[in-house]
Amino acid sequence: MPLFDSLYNFARWLTRDESEAEDLVQECFAKALRGFSSFTPGTDFRAWMFRILRNTFLTSRTGLRAKLTQSLEEDEAEGESVAVTWETPESFALASATRDALQAALERLPAEYREVILLCDVEEMKYKDIAEVLSVPIGTVMSRIARGRKLLRQALAGERKQSPASAGKVDER
Amino acid sequence: MSCPEWRDRINAYVDAELPPSDMAAFRAHAEQCAACAAGALALTESKLAVRRAGNRYTASAELRARMLSAAQGQDLAEAKAEPARIEPEKHWTGLERFTSGMWPRWALAAAALLLITVGLFVANRRQESKTLAEFADLHVAALASANPVEVISTDRHTVKPWFQGRIPFTFDLPELQGSPFSLLGGRVAYFHQEPAAHLIFQYQRHLISVFIFRETSQIALPASVADQTSSFRLRTWTQGGLRYVVIGDASDGTIQQLAGLLHFTQ
Repeated sequence: MPLFDSLYNFARWLTRDESEAEDLVQECFAKALRGFSSFTPGTDFRAWMFRILRNTFLTSRTGLRAKLTQSLEEDEAEGESVAVTWETPESFALASATRDALQAALERLPAEYREVILLCDVEEMKYKDIAEVLSVPIGTVMSRIARGRKLLRQALAGERKQSPASAGKVDER
Repeated sequence: MSCPEWRDRINAYVDAELPPSDMAAFRAHAEQCAACAAGALALTESKLAVRRAGNRYTASAELRARMLSAAQGQDLAEAKAEPARIEPEKHWTGLERFTSGMWPRWALAAAALLLITVGLFVANRRQESKTLAEFADLHVAALASANPVEVISTDRHTVKPWFQGRIPFTFDLPELQGSPFSLLGGRVAYFHQEPAAHLIFQYQRHLISVFIFRETSQIALPASVADQTSSFRLRTWTQGGLRYVVIGDASDGTIQQLAGLLHFTQ
């Protein structure tokens, strides 16, 4: 049940609560079934399902609360370079981070970056499908991905500096 | 295109979102530019790390069973189904709305099962080309880097011991005398955070990479894959708990020949 598994995983990341995630997935399938005739053949079916799931979440109590507290960081970040900086350990911090450290960093990421990174890296969706799920232009998807990845790298590189125990691992490289 | 321009598009490259001509142009650029190659490699590895970390939650067996039986329940409902009623939506109860409407019940039953179980084939296909691209990236990035190999030697008795203590397993290298291949050296690479022996062989003017690593999680890859856009060919197999991957831009027969040599040495 790969689609079900993906949706459930995404729902847990959105709600951060097991029973809320279960309700969300069930409601998503029920809605999909009711609205099956509104699915346009030829468009991405997964994107359609994720869109239903996310929209259902956004109208839930947790989702509404999350929406209200959403940060304005994206606007503030405009014009800032998100180009990858290679010659620093920062660019490798992410690849060599432990799963736990990475999950913690993903949790701390503002929601609008976390969801785009999950859809792109975990669900391996195309940019145009992510744009469909989030109802935003494709350019916004691209800038959120770039900025989200940069924030993740910075968070993990910062963590390394603070924790001498894991610093040795970087030097060995 | 210059490095700063490429760096702005490197995320799109790693996500395979550039137009095919630009994908090829970046690969060509990365073969000349160690910095961009290293950058693409770091991002590719990061993406993999995020994928593993992001796949965090699994639904309980109970929810899974509930969803499946709900979908199959549609099927049972269909057996006793009355014809779908056509009534204004506001009079429908939740369940009726769930099971009637424009769609006949048998179609809903099929849709319910499809909704829950669909996607396996699509997901696998995506995974397959992704894995090929990952190895192609490791191969290209190593060749483009300033030091493609960490141990430079054509002697298998030098290269093999060099890996001792660097990777948590051992393997044998074939005798290449009399074969059209020569060994250039080796390095340690990482695939899905697993240390891998990365060997580079030469065949005429082609460089071929061999990756050997412990297969901790199954990778979705058929024994032989060819990538139409990048012209890379790949052969892979598992042997003694180790996964072997041979990749390069040489002909399929050549890749197969090297794979055969390695296979029969183990």
